[in-house]
Amino acid sequence: MSHVFYPGCSLESTARDYYLSTHAVARALGLDLPELPDWTCCGSTPAHQESETLALALPAKNLLAARGNTVAVCCAACYGRLKAANHALAHDPRARARVAEVLGADYDGSTPVKHFLEILVREVGLPRLKARATKPLKGLRVAAYYGCLLVRPPEVTQFDDPENPRLLDDLLAAAGAEPVEWPHKTECCGASYSITDAAIVQQLSREILAMARAAGADCIATACGMCQLNLDLRQGDIEKKYGERYQLPVFYFTQLLGLAFGLGPRELGLRSLVVDPARLLAEKGILAGGVPQAVSAGPHGGMSR
Amino acid sequence: MSTQGRTAESQDAGFARSVAAASGADPLVCLQCRKCTCGCPVAGRVDLRPHELVRLVQLGERDEVLRSRMLWECTSCQTCVTRCPQSVNIPALVDALRQLSRAERKTAATTVVPVFNDVFLGTVCRLGRMYEAGLMASFKVRTGRFFEDLDKLPMMLRKGKLALLPKLVRGGGARKRLFRRAKAAGGKRR
Repeated sequence: MSHVFYPGCSLESTARDYYLSTHAVARALGLDLPELPDWTCCGSTPAHQESETLALALPAKNLLAARGNTVAVCCAACYGRLKAANHALAHDPRARARVAEVLGADYDGSTPVKHFLEILVREVGLPRLKARATKPLKGLRVAAYYGCLLVRPPEVTQFDDPENPRLLDDLLAAAGAEPVEWPHKTECCGASYSITDAAIVQQLSREILAMARAAGADCIATACGMCQLNLDLRQGDIEKKYGERYQLPVFYFTQLLGLAFGLGPRELGLRSLVVDPARLLAEKGILAGGVPQAVSAGPHGGMSR
Repeated sequence: MSTQGRTAESQDAGFARSVAAASGADPLVCLQCRKCTCGCPVAGRVDLRPHELVRLVQLGERDEVLRSRMLWECTSCQTCVTRCPQSVNIPALVDALRQLSRAERKTAATTVVPVFNDVFLGTVCRLGRMYEAGLMASFKVRTGRFFEDLDKLPMMLRKGKLALLPKLVRGGGARKRLFRRAKAAGGKRR
């Protein structure tokens, strides 16, 4: 079954570097990731807070359009919503009937949804990733941060062990990095309260940064646009509020894998990271030339189409 | 949470059953073991911790539950339901309570989450996708929070983190119909 890519809204704006690095890694592996035409937003947190029917109908509309393919997703929030819709529509005939009424078409919840991390580790496979990693990330100690929505609820996402997932750790190890053992792999960063109640995000994200540092990590790897934004963009506010200093770069896992593949910083969108990774990458001998300062920001955030 | 000292006047005997029907979660099977609260990332700051919220639903304390700040501080992280020995789907319960709280105009005065949700979903209905620059502008106008995060704007533009113009997604008519019908359909009915 071929893949069709559902980028989700954040990959068009705040997480454009996730978009760039995902496609760069896919290209390097010869993976075809055509975009689902005219995809619409999954509804994210607001939809499930306000209306169960809307929260199922928006993902169902996209999953119906993607029939016959496996939907590849990068954003953990989109992933959670698409998986939740599939689970509800496959198990609850009344929900399915209600959504059919709303969409004007029946959808049975059968379009497979996979996170890009699952595709890399389970389909491409660790041996192939390892063989492609011509510039292994030697000596880079990384805290693999999964967040909530990849792993929970486990019967819905069926991603990995919900309390101690390994998928991202295994991928980082294949890239030559050293994943650290730490207890906050699946703690919540505060998620969508980033805009409405920043104090919650600051409190929760601080716990994650503090634990990553205590575990001896040089940086954090994320697989979610929202987690990355909270830990990276809000890190300065957290340092100010709590009088602490972290300076922990927060990468998308695709950026780290891309570096191990020998891909360039521009291709991987490294310049979009708020906490500058240049010194760390130079120190570890991963990227001697530094991170170029120019970024091509067109009207759509410079996304290449 | 103690059942002592509560009066029949504040209690709505059918509340637990109606919330169960709306959410698909069964609050009555809760054992009050507090495993949910132990893992809850916001337990230290909310007015009602998860096991207390469930107990108040069992007791039919409609008003206290619907006015709780907890409904707007729960991050829907799914830790509680993942660990619950009785599989009480607290996040689904909280979603149903949020909707009931808004319908009865009992939403805690301190929260701006409902405003954010309206602006967000309005944007998705009109444009098909999120458009952060427009969302932030509308949200700031509706809440009067003009200066929050304004310091980050130049940096976000420089780093290409904000698109200045929305993307155009086809199918606007079908999308508006979907939203209208979803609103009319409401939630779970058992």
